Amino acid sequence: MAVRELTYVKAYTEALHQLMGADDDVFVVGEDVAGYGGVFHMYDGLLAAYGERRMIDTPISETAIVGLGVGAAARGLRPVVDIMFMDFLAVCLDQLVNQAAKMKFMFGGEVRVPMVLTVAAGAGLSAGAQHSQSLEAWLAHTPGLKVAMPSSAHDVKGLMVTAVRDDNPVVMMLNKKLLGAKGAVPEELYEVPFGQAAVLREGTDVTVVALGRMVVEATAAAGTLAAEGISVEVVDPRTVQPLDTATIAESARRTHRVVVVHEAVTFGGLGAEIAAQVTDAAFDHLDAPVLRVGAPFAPVPFSPALENAYLPDRTRIAEACRQITKRS
Amino acid sequence: MEPVGAVATRTDRAPSVEGLDAASLLDLHRRMVRIRVFETEAGRLMESGDLPGFLHLYVGQEAVAAGALATLTDADQITSTHRGHGHAVAKGAGFRKMFAELFGRVDGYCHGRGGSMHINDLSIGMLGANGIVGAGLPIAVGAAFAARYRGDGSIAMTFFGDGASNIGAFHEAANMAAVLQLPVVFVCENNGYAEFTAQARHMRLDDVADRAAAYGMPSEVCDGMDAVAVRQACRRAVDRARAGEGPSLVEAKTYRYYDHQGVKGLRKPYRTQEEIDAWKARDAIELLEARAAADGVVDAAEFARVWEETRADAVDAIAFARASPLPDPATLTRDVYTD
Amino acid sequence: MAQQVLLPKLGLTMEEGTIVEWVARPGDQVRTGDVLLRLGTDKVDADVEAEGEGRFQPVVDEGATLAPGALIAWLLDGDEQPPGAAPAPAAGRAPEPVPEPILASGAVAPGRPEPGGRLLASPNARRVAAELGVDLTTLRGTGPGGRIVSEDVADAVVAARVPAPTADRPSPRPVDGGGVGSPLVRRHAASSGVDLGSVRGSGLGGRIRRADVLAAAGPPPAAPVPAPEAPPAQPAAGPVPGTVLPLTGMRGAIARSMHASLQEMAQLTLGHEADVGGLLALREQLTREWDGTGLRVPTVTDFVVRAAAQALPEHPVLNASVRADGIHLHEQVHVGIAVAVPGGLLVPVLRDADRRGMVDLAGQTRELAVAARAGRLTAAQLEGATFVVTSLGSYGVDFFTPVVNPGTTGILGVGRVRDGVRWEGEVPRRTSVLTLSLSFDHRAVDGAPAAEFLRTVSGLLARPHLLLAG
Repeated sequence: MAVRELTYVKAYTEALHQLMGADDDVFVVGEDVAGYGGVFHMYDGLLAAYGERRMIDTPISETAIVGLGVGAAARGLRPVVDIMFMDFLAVCLDQLVNQAAKMKFMFGGEVRVPMVLTVAAGAGLSAGAQHSQSLEAWLAHTPGLKVAMPSSAHDVKGLMVTAVRDDNPVVMMLNKKLLGAKGAVPEELYEVPFGQAAVLREGTDVTVVALGRMVVEATAAAGTLAAEGISVEVVDPRTVQPLDTATIAESARRTHRVVVVHEAVTFGGLGAEIAAQVTDAAFDHLDAPVLRVGAPFAPVPFSPALENAYLPDRTRIAEACRQITKRS
Repeated sequence: MEPVGAVATRTDRAPSVEGLDAASLLDLHRRMVRIRVFETEAGRLMESGDLPGFLHLYVGQEAVAAGALATLTDADQITSTHRGHGHAVAKGAGFRKMFAELFGRVDGYCHGRGGSMHINDLSIGMLGANGIVGAGLPIAVGAAFAARYRGDGSIAMTFFGDGASNIGAFHEAANMAAVLQLPVVFVCENNGYAEFTAQARHMRLDDVADRAAAYGMPSEVCDGMDAVAVRQACRRAVDRARAGEGPSLVEAKTYRYYDHQGVKGLRKPYRTQEEIDAWKARDAIELLEARAAADGVVDAAEFARVWEETRADAVDAIAFARASPLPDPATLTRDVYTD
Repeated sequence: MAQQVLLPKLGLTMEEGTIVEWVARPGDQVRTGDVLLRLGTDKVDADVEAEGEGRFQPVVDEGATLAPGALIAWLLDGDEQPPGAAPAPAAGRAPEPVPEPILASGAVAPGRPEPGGRLLASPNARRVAAELGVDLTTLRGTGPGGRIVSEDVADAVVAARVPAPTADRPSPRPVDGGGVGSPLVRRHAASSGVDLGSVRGSGLGGRIRRADVLAAAGPPPAAPVPAPEAPPAQPAAGPVPGTVLPLTGMRGAIARSMHASLQEMAQLTLGHEADVGGLLALREQLTREWDGTGLRVPTVTDFVVRAAAQALPEHPVLNASVRADGIHLHEQVHVGIAVAVPGGLLVPVLRDADRRGMVDLAGQTRELAVAARAGRLTAAQLEGATFVVTSLGSYGVDFFTPVVNPGTTGILGVGRVRDGVRWEGEVPRRTSVLTLSLSFDHRAVDGAPAAEFLRTVSGLLARPHLLLAG
């Protein structure tokens, strides 16, 4: 089938459209997902196609929304639960972390919770401290959850297909600033497997492991650095739980230097985990400590002047690469 | 025997034995006795140091679980609370797997991974006890959603306490169920205390049932020490749910004989002995046995046989649990994910 | 602000160093990493790089021999003049107290340890060094904080493959990479004298990678080092007629040592023809059998070293030192292996040679030879020989009179392998022979016991399977 250019958000919508067409157990629940089509137009057209039985508008009740998803999933349906901004996880974390994530284990393995929780993450839109966070570290730290961080239209669709078909609770972290980014997307349903990193650019001098939108920034930085003679390998884990440690470590063994980039604050972020994993798996191949590029330890600020300084970008990534490859 | 005490006089008591045949009465009785025996034995084992962890025991509240669950089938789903043994037993869970779980053995309901607060049995619609107060309510709403989505005719029921009626999850779940008109029955077991805090100190209403009005949901209050009354109130709510008329709330006024955790409280008493004695004087099992005997519906010997069989069942189950192997630490990370 | 450049101490035992050549010229604007001078010592010659920036101003002349810590140059800002520079302390005199250098030219000091004494080297550098047999303590770290990184190890291996720069042949200047290779690649190219313009890049878009430079520089590190039997591929750059070679550095050390030897000892040399036909046959067999195993077939000299090491415990007077109080017979057998290096000769020491198996002995010997040619030997590796083996076989020499090293009583020379005849009854059989030349100190060893030693060695060489197996 054909491959077209689609925006990131349309790739998500298309995935859902096709998944709902293929499986009656798939339904969407959340605030303004049906009548309004989702605040980010992620669900445009789905109400007309699938009706109110499968497109459920709810009150502003994140705990009850996620709980509904958990209960329905435990009964065998495949809910896609939308809670808009990732920041709102904080008001329903119990249902996600104490219920959905642990239910299978606590119940002795008897139950499955095939629920997808879609959240819009990421900063860069002056949305302020409560509408801009990247909280993947919270989630990846919770046994039982899976966390996908698509960085392209292609991966949004493929990861969403995998997520809906997965029998575990999956958090899909869509990046708000990427919603309009276009990319080649095959028409057919395809899966991007979880726990398989993509090596988006091969390089020999330094490996940059980037999450979510930072993949775009890292790729741009790699272009700049190539002109300076620094060859950068860009690795996109695509899911941080499960995390493809093998690919990252393999790359580290070749380049001997690793930089990890994410939007989230550096302290306690995935960068720390990846650094530790790289050290475990490739210690004897490192020529430098793993460098982390992340946000400072502060909430996401509002003013563009502050937010620009807060967010990692291609400039900071490039600088980190220069620093880690520098020799006297 | 008439109810005594301030709380009991506030209840809208339904007719007791009237309308129920011997089989229905014995069914209620058997469910209550099984709970009482299980919980008494569990408390005894805990006090003797045989059980790890902690236990929230259901003794005293048997009429609620028995009456409510007598209205459901195995296809109907329930979610429970941290005080969940009664719901599991009344829904039909087996003593062997329950005791084995309390002992932390591989033959337990959760193979030793869950413990007292996570006993579940999907085959009989028991979607699990829950360690988080109020967390079971939204999940039951989801189960009700799935039932209607599939149109399979089943409903969901969720148990919660007076304390949980203060938590956001209760209000969100009640509103959601009402807005979506889902087939779910909210059963509030009002035992008068949120852990160690008396109802008058944690809410300004006398009846949790009044909260249903805020969500446009019908509700009624019943005597939680009278299994027949609970059964009849829940029957009305269940019928509404099955008929597609949406959710209802049933509040059962009841009392726990034991402490919040374990059997006897070790610290400063927060309840008077007088209050405890007054509720015990209206013990649900004794009440049912006395009425049935007085009305001549069930012979007392039948009740005695239930006690005898149930005690034998408990002895067998405890022996089974003690003999069950401890889980292998090598299996520790199994079942975190579904492959 | 003016920064001092001090004469670095290249090793624990270094007492003086000679400014072989000023690579930087007075007035040059130098940057961090630029080579300032070539420094000679009795053991190694090394480049000294700048650790700061500024206008270069030497304060001593080429050829000066100074103690470590002596002020030798300044790096100046703008029009800045050197502060009233005190004359550099002459060698042998206690150096003047020197202020803490702002610019530590000691960056060149190999294996700069971090505080606490641990060598600063990246995990990858440690791994690669172990694999290639490179002694990290001989390397200069170019990573952050002077950390030795894997590229430093690779540099050392590359450097070991190309003729080391000498006084009369300046070290290669960095080659202009023209932007086709990364800084790391350009650095490799510069250090190995590879012209990047002649290298075909295998990286993305034809980009030149480290591996390309390594390939252009010569065979990979795992390739066999030229066996002592093989003549050098090309003669080292010879001295230029009409010039004076200073008797400093390694040359001076050799001169002093050899002169002392012949002055102190009563030396004489015995020759003995050993039949190595079986040994050569065994080597051919091993070459076939070990093909693809990664094992290296020991050289003829390796077999001789092994035979000598086995023989020495039976002939302790040849594993001895003559001192004022008598002849010290050593319990351990440490065999020095003479290695010709550009500009001289080094004798790295194979410790406990008698306790090493053939393969281990051959591997260690090769690593010592590689390190010697790369100028990476440590002082410890050059000390403590109890006996020496030297070979001129690859130069076509049969018999010679090696000079006994001070502190030992014997040295065994290995000659060329040539055709010989072995008589089996009345039937002549063609075989291979080589001449062993044993020089010894007659003060400790008489002719007969020396001949006995030679016979033992010869006998062992005639039974090479035992040498291989033992």
